Amino acid sequence: MITGEQKPIEEIRGMVEPYKRILVLGCNSCVAECAAGGEKETGMLASALRMAAKMAGKESVIQERTLDRQCVKEFIIRIDDIVDQYDAILSLACGAGVQAVGDMYPEVPVIPALNTEFLGETKEQGYWVENCLGCGDCMLHQFGGVCPLARCSKQLMNGPCGGSKGGVCEVRPDLPCAWQEIIDRLEHFGELERLEKIVPPKNWSKKNSSGPRRIVREDQKR
Amino acid sequence: MLLLLCPSRENLGGKVRAEIMKKKRKFTLALFHCQNIAGSSERERQDMEREYDGSLRLFPLPCSGRLEPLHLMKALEEFADAAYVIACPVSGCRYHEGSARARKRVGRTAEILAEIGLEKDRVGIVEADRVDAESLAVLAGELLAKLDRLGPSPVFGRDSKERPDRGEKTGSNPRSAARNRRGLKAGQDMVAEMYRLEQR
Repeated sequence: MITGEQKPIEEIRGMVEPYKRILVLGCNSCVAECAAGGEKETGMLASALRMAAKMAGKESVIQERTLDRQCVKEFIIRIDDIVDQYDAILSLACGAGVQAVGDMYPEVPVIPALNTEFLGETKEQGYWVENCLGCGDCMLHQFGGVCPLARCSKQLMNGPCGGSKGGVCEVRPDLPCAWQEIIDRLEHFGELERLEKIVPPKNWSKKNSSGPRRIVREDQKR
Repeated sequence: MLLLLCPSRENLGGKVRAEIMKKKRKFTLALFHCQNIAGSSERERQDMEREYDGSLRLFPLPCSGRLEPLHLMKALEEFADAAYVIACPVSGCRYHEGSARARKRVGRTAEILAEIGLEKDRVGIVEADRVDAESLAVLAGELLAKLDRLGPSPVFGRDSKERPDRGEKTGSNPRSAARNRRGLKAGQDMVAEMYRLEQR
């Protein structure tokens, strides 16, 4: 899922300052899972902004709505009947959601309330980690299901650096050594010989090259 | 005689209540509490709310771990000068983690309040003694006495008429009656919202 964190309220207040009627728009997908932009967080942010406005003696209308997804037009259209009532939309979606809403309603400014972070896994309640860079050329099978690009501090592709101690990364002591995990797992599967193959430098053109990446599926189109 | 010299906790709670009532309070406390705490039956809740005459609004929870920061925020936004939680001791929570979770959520709410410039003390958590037969009533009285120094919340401005829920005795004044009905509705809406979010 895509993870995000709410910006400081002071920064958000600065961004919405010029607007009087604001729709605080949550997203009940990825950012709800990481407790940043779901219905509860949307309600809290709207409530905090209303209280702050009242204390500042500012006349404003701040209302909230949460969509199941902000990155799909079929869901965004559900605010079609109310969007005209607002001067701005404060979106608690990831950057993709913010831009999708902006594309749909170009006449209304859409302001991000979150900083979009990374593709993450929920390790445990309240703890999310990045273990996929979305490189566009997955090689997890080569490494026993542990990605050295995302999980090794030095992004080494052909074996450990030799600096880890007791299975812990020398760069970040709170991080398990990804290469220790790769070797342990391949050994468990009896596939250590996979590591004898030299992995060529990563082809980053599949991640960052000419503009945004796209996926086109003719069979999925209308 | 001994009782008069050394008032029990129960008597102390009664005294605090009497003093508070004398002062004609203008302070509203939203108090969320675990239903496992002694003295928190529905009848006792209604009696306490009536006795405190709008200064105290009680919101029973099946466990304090059910509390969300949003509940405290909504209370502070809509009618309360302070929103507190009475939880069981961390080691005595029937569901093991409820009180510990409530403590963290209150902490999160306090952080948000600080960000918007509202005093952190307007939210808080108090641990009750589950074996104390008068726990809820005594703690509510003590809390009201302690929080009185905070004064009215700046969210409602200087004019208390802005506040939807004062819970004042309405007498025969139709305007006051209407305001009180709106206040009650705000509380009811908040409870409905709490349980709706629980389904998600």
